[in-house]
Amino acid sequence: MSDAWPPQLKEWVAKCLGQMTDINRTEAQAELRQVIADAFAAHTLWTTDWAGVQLRALLPKPPPQFNTTPNLKRKKSVIGFHHKPPENSPATKKVKKALKSSTSSPALDPNDRAALEQRAQRFQREHEIEREKSRVGGQAALKANHHTSHLFSGFNSRSASPSEDPDADPNVMDWDRYTIVGTSQEIFKDYLRLTTDPKPEQIRPYPILQQTLLELKKRFRERTPYNWICSQFKSLRQDLTVQRIKNEFTVQVYEIHGRIALECGDMVEYNQCQATLKTLYDLGLPGRVEEFTAYRILMLLHGRNRTELNILVGQLTPKQKADPAVQHALSVQRALAMGNYHALFGLYSSAPNMGAYIMDHFVARERARALVVITRAYKTIPLSFIHQELAFESLQQTHEFLTEHSAAYFTNATRPDAQKELDCKPALPQLTQVFETKYRKVLIKGAI
Amino acid sequence: MPMDFSTFLTQINDALNAENGPNLAYLLRPTSPHGKDLLKSFRSPTASTLAHFKGSITSPWDEIAIQYVLICSHIARLRPGEAFKEQSQLVSLFFRFFIENRGWTLPALFSILRDLRDLAHDADWHAKVHNQNTECMVEAARTVAKAFSSCMTDRLSPPDESRKWGVYYVVGLAMKCYFKVKRISLTKNIIKVLDNSSDIPALEFYPRSHQVTYRYYLGMLSFLNEEYEKAEQELTLAFYHCHIQAHDNQARILAYLIPLRILKGHLPSDELMYRFPVLADIFSPFVAAIRAGDLAAYERALELREARLIELNLLLTLEKGRELCMRGLFRRVWLAADKGTRIPISMFHAALLISGMKDIEVEEAECLVANMVYKGFMRGYISHEKQMVVLAANNAFPRPAERPAPLASL
Repeated sequence: MSDAWPPQLKEWVAKCLGQMTDINRTEAQAELRQVIADAFAAHTLWTTDWAGVQLRALLPKPPPQFNTTPNLKRKKSVIGFHHKPPENSPATKKVKKALKSSTSSPALDPNDRAALEQRAQRFQREHEIEREKSRVGGQAALKANHHTSHLFSGFNSRSASPSEDPDADPNVMDWDRYTIVGTSQEIFKDYLRLTTDPKPEQIRPYPILQQTLLELKKRFRERTPYNWICSQFKSLRQDLTVQRIKNEFTVQVYEIHGRIALECGDMVEYNQCQATLKTLYDLGLPGRVEEFTAYRILMLLHGRNRTELNILVGQLTPKQKADPAVQHALSVQRALAMGNYHALFGLYSSAPNMGAYIMDHFVARERARALVVITRAYKTIPLSFIHQELAFESLQQTHEFLTEHSAAYFTNATRPDAQKELDCKPALPQLTQVFETKYRKVLIKGAI
Repeated sequence: MPMDFSTFLTQINDALNAENGPNLAYLLRPTSPHGKDLLKSFRSPTASTLAHFKGSITSPWDEIAIQYVLICSHIARLRPGEAFKEQSQLVSLFFRFFIENRGWTLPALFSILRDLRDLAHDADWHAKVHNQNTECMVEAARTVAKAFSSCMTDRLSPPDESRKWGVYYVVGLAMKCYFKVKRISLTKNIIKVLDNSSDIPALEFYPRSHQVTYRYYLGMLSFLNEEYEKAEQELTLAFYHCHIQAHDNQARILAYLIPLRILKGHLPSDELMYRFPVLADIFSPFVAAIRAGDLAAYERALELREARLIELNLLLTLEKGRELCMRGLFRRVWLAADKGTRIPISMFHAALLISGMKDIEVEEAECLVANMVYKGFMRGYISHEKQMVVLAANNAFPRPAERPAPLASL
């Protein structure tokens, strides 16, 4: 394909590559890809004055705007359809940050346009200078890149092109060969697992995907059913993967889908997002690393995966350890290890971000365990104490929990709940037995 | 007289005919003296230059001999990556021979697998230094696993000459590889196979060194899985069967046995610490804090030793040891109350505050006391309305080791 490129284009590409820094590389590459694809489609490859073209991504950007939404209290009636009945979430103290607005939108002030013009001029001059320099060096740089089968695909990956790799499994799609730029303009698309080569007209290009994300965020706020939203996110992720777009936007998509999945209790999707996020963060892409590290810790606590937990804790950087969300997760770990149910349920009520949704999954087990300890240490104990200590939503809920665990023995059963006293002696053996049968094994689908 | 290639082949042939396993092993070791000799006779051996030797003795030994020379050459030229590749090839060739033969070949198998692992280690380290990434150890692990299958599936040999006698040694090597690359979950498969198989001799009949290694790894794995009873069992057996002079091995076993015994309530003696200074360095501060019931000191010890404990995978376990420290602290409260049978919760609360747990609320103190009762460190019960702990008249603070199920955890 590069034989069909004019020399000016090759020089310009080399110069752009040279101008990229770690900060703007992924954006710039995506834009570069897009610009060339557009020109190719419009048959203007040979007629454009490439030296004069300026990539927006290579302009100096104003610092990105982050919406610092204050902690939203966890609303009970958020997504009614596929959300578990929120019996385990005391309405009062939960916090959640479901959708942190993430795309930075440097809306250029019209007054700044003049300044922008000036800057563009300056870059024009620099183009000239660079062009002189790269006339010598640029050709070499381009040649070096030809080793990868495709000019665009070699940047982030180290995978060999199929002709070099004798072990390439013909059944596994080789994304290098199929990296394409999509042309579909549809905002929404249902998810379909890919079984054949992806066709460009079915794939949405990067700018459309950005719009898709905005729309999906809106729809989620409007309480569209989770199944549809999930399908949309999966197809959005698919389009990103097929076009090998791995940048901050990708991170945002996975983070948002992850949070939505957590809120709706979809642990399978959540685990997928978490796994992908880990690889994206390892590539050096920025994102809410600490937030998701905290989630990983909590997930490992839920899955009782001690070995992995050991390893993860050992790999925490000082920066991560200083983060409040990570510290919260580590405190949860400590409370669990010590059997400190008082601290544990305090932490449950004050979990940052979406941590409480993960804790939801092991709260029942920990309540049962706490009750075993309590019935061993006390002779009688007020129902109201259990209600408070174990962060139940109401006395009634507390009573129901005891009944479910065959432990509703009271010294004064005729009194109203507010005054009931649990009779610990008969309750203890029941609780111990129920704990063994109900909570010994933990099963998670799609867990890491 | 320096050896030349034909003499080498003859010696191999002799060893094969005499079914002399140790000799065969010696011949195939790159560190043996004849390795250097053979190199001298070839200027720069490659597979092609040596190919004309094929057919000089029965296959696959002709190729094995060629491989041997190549390996020695790469090692001499400090190319561990290449040496590893050739060694892998040698091992594959050896497998062809191995499955047709009986247990006398085991010493040779052990030797070449050991060398394979050493070369994998060197190759990975060499690559790391040069900022490359290689997965030789992973490959070595795979090869060792293959060897394991070959050992297990010996149906033809008579029992005392069977290849099955190699099983535990090979498993030990496999464990070492898996631990090195931190793919500990892969060990489960091998252990499952061993547990389910009924046609290999019981572990007790194998050489002691094989037993100790296997039990050590079993203990380690149970430990990491928090199956503490099993871990203690295996590690204790490993320790007592360990050769008296194998000091380093003993230290490795103790590194996991000591925390287990501590959790059970047995603190290591000064004499033991004296014999193993490396372990003393890690564990003494914890032991001292527990003896004094000093929670703050225990926390400090956790912070200071954190890196080392994480390396050894002991951090989470020693965090559990905090409860022994707390038991000591509470016992001091009891002593301060003249061993009374009714002690207010506020006293325990005060003790916790003094001990460095700032900002702890009374309710949390009550919860911790409840845990002490539950775990058997204190005998008695709590009266919530009176905010009082009622202790048993005698043996209110039993010795931790005398609790009914010291290592059981909920």
